[in-house]
Amino acid sequence: MIATRVGAAALPAAVWVALRDHEPLAAYATASDVHYLFAGVDGLLDVGAAREEAIPALAATYPVFAWDEREMRDEHGVSFADESDARPLFIGAAGVPPALAAEGEGVTLVVVGPVHAGIIEPGRFTFSTGGETVIALDAQLSYSRRGVEAALAGRDAVAAAPRVARICGACSVARSWSYARALEALAGVACDEASEYARLVAAELERIYNHLFDLAQAAAGAGYGYSQTHLLGLKERANALCAEAFGHRLLFDAIVPGGVGTGVLRDARAARDAAVLLRAAARAEVRALLGNISVQRRFEGAGVLPAEIARAFGVVGPGRRASGGTLDARTLLPYGAYAALAPAVATDAAGDVAARVRVKAAELDAAFELVERALAALGDHAPPAPQHVMPGRGTAVTITEGPRGAETLALACAADGALERIAVRSASFRNWPAVLRAMEGNIVPDFPLVNKSFNLCYACADG
Amino acid sequence: MANPFAHALGIRHLVCGSCNGCEHELNALAGPAYDTTQQGWSIVASPRHADVVTVTGPMTTAMRAAAAATLAAAAQPCVVVAIGDCAAGEGPWAGAPHAGAGAGIELDAAVTVRGCPPAPAAIAAGLAEAARRLG
Repeated sequence: MIATRVGAAALPAAVWVALRDHEPLAAYATASDVHYLFAGVDGLLDVGAAREEAIPALAATYPVFAWDEREMRDEHGVSFADESDARPLFIGAAGVPPALAAEGEGVTLVVVGPVHAGIIEPGRFTFSTGGETVIALDAQLSYSRRGVEAALAGRDAVAAAPRVARICGACSVARSWSYARALEALAGVACDEASEYARLVAAELERIYNHLFDLAQAAAGAGYGYSQTHLLGLKERANALCAEAFGHRLLFDAIVPGGVGTGVLRDARAARDAAVLLRAAARAEVRALLGNISVQRRFEGAGVLPAEIARAFGVVGPGRRASGGTLDARTLLPYGAYAALAPAVATDAAGDVAARVRVKAAELDAAFELVERALAALGDHAPPAPQHVMPGRGTAVTITEGPRGAETLALACAADGALERIAVRSASFRNWPAVLRAMEGNIVPDFPLVNKSFNLCYACADG
Repeated sequence: MANPFAHALGIRHLVCGSCNGCEHELNALAGPAYDTTQQGWSIVASPRHADVVTVTGPMTTAMRAAAAATLAAAAQPCVVVAIGDCAAGEGPWAGAPHAGAGAGIELDAAVTVRGCPPAPAAIAAGLAEAARRLG
């Protein structure tokens, strides 16, 4: 990682320079500094500034940092000059922060949540509508906010790994991998080759079960019960495969500091056989979904996220790659076994629900390809028990490509291996503002469709 | 005469700060592989239709009022089923700044299904117990 420190006044210029050839990732605060993180072909870049004077707000120029700056202000007391949004980011003692809403004759507000009519995480959505059309959409999230960063601070970093794996159930592997790599960097430990292949298998299985779920939900959003039912059936098979290979249906604790969970992937051949069968079934069901013309007509033109908005908002993951982007942490900054097994990155220019479905469908098959090749490389070499990891004093930043995009983690350890500070910036935290923007001009009944085409998490975004 | 629909359940789900892991397993239970419509169980869109309210998560400060309103809106009799270690008060976020005592503890669950998350079959067993209690 390249770390540069500038005076607060020079921060806007330094960020402008960084953005010329880097992707923005996140910003976070410590007791003494603010950090703006970027990723480029030359690695991660950390532009830091001391909090001795007011920090110039960057959100008005770079909307990617809008939520980060509000979080830094509300949770860490950073004072910003010229802030553009005085509303609290999270629900607090003052209640639910006001929603941004359109005003004018004929505008009707539709407010839903936080409790929804299904098995869904909580959140409140305020639609400003003119007839059926959504003029603006705002979301008040943080109903799932537990305060995970504060709860982790002060804990023994290695012992805290199972908690980190449970910040969010649907991107557990990606976060565990980010966390393990950060602690290993601070401990000077290199993961062994067999465990690296096992980690890749776990991460791609997580992508597989998530993408199967997302595609099923997209079908549901279009009212196509056939594909919804069949893809959910395959998702169940994927979760069963996860349990068989890694001892947990959602892969919690599959990746641990120093390697992978003890006893995982004892039978790589059986796992590969199951993956091959599942891949063939998935291909058939994806063909059925993509080949249904009337369903595709529902997907096309819905929830368009223009490429320039996706870039300005710093959107990551399939949502970015379906809007003309190529950003993928696995290929931009290859880690672990991705250095040997590079994924085929699927991209699309349309930016609509159809494009996100196509990208996820392609990523699903590419994930199976990676799983098969990694399990073949593993052969009969069962991964060893995890190495001992004793992180020393220092700061580490890692990004891992989860199912929804780059999962960014920044942490600082004390000399005794305790966590001083951990900042969790999830792909969902990054992408939520883009979902709201993508709904503008769409009809209210398409919200489930557009929303599920991103299918973001609440738990990791809320913290 | 015995109630011929005694086994049937309308289930309303209430997320109180879960990591979404329990939701994945509850979704799996409601999906085609387990097909709980065979048992006469369905996920309902309003607490007014609910015989059972399933709750997950440690109970967050932000969800407490909405959770209470949801339970108050449920038709009686109604059995609260706590799903997962967080709801049981012993999950990874017990003691976190905005986490409560566990959704199942705070909402007085009659049935608790442990696990992180519990597998679909374990959740089904908990719901069957709720059906027995409703008679």
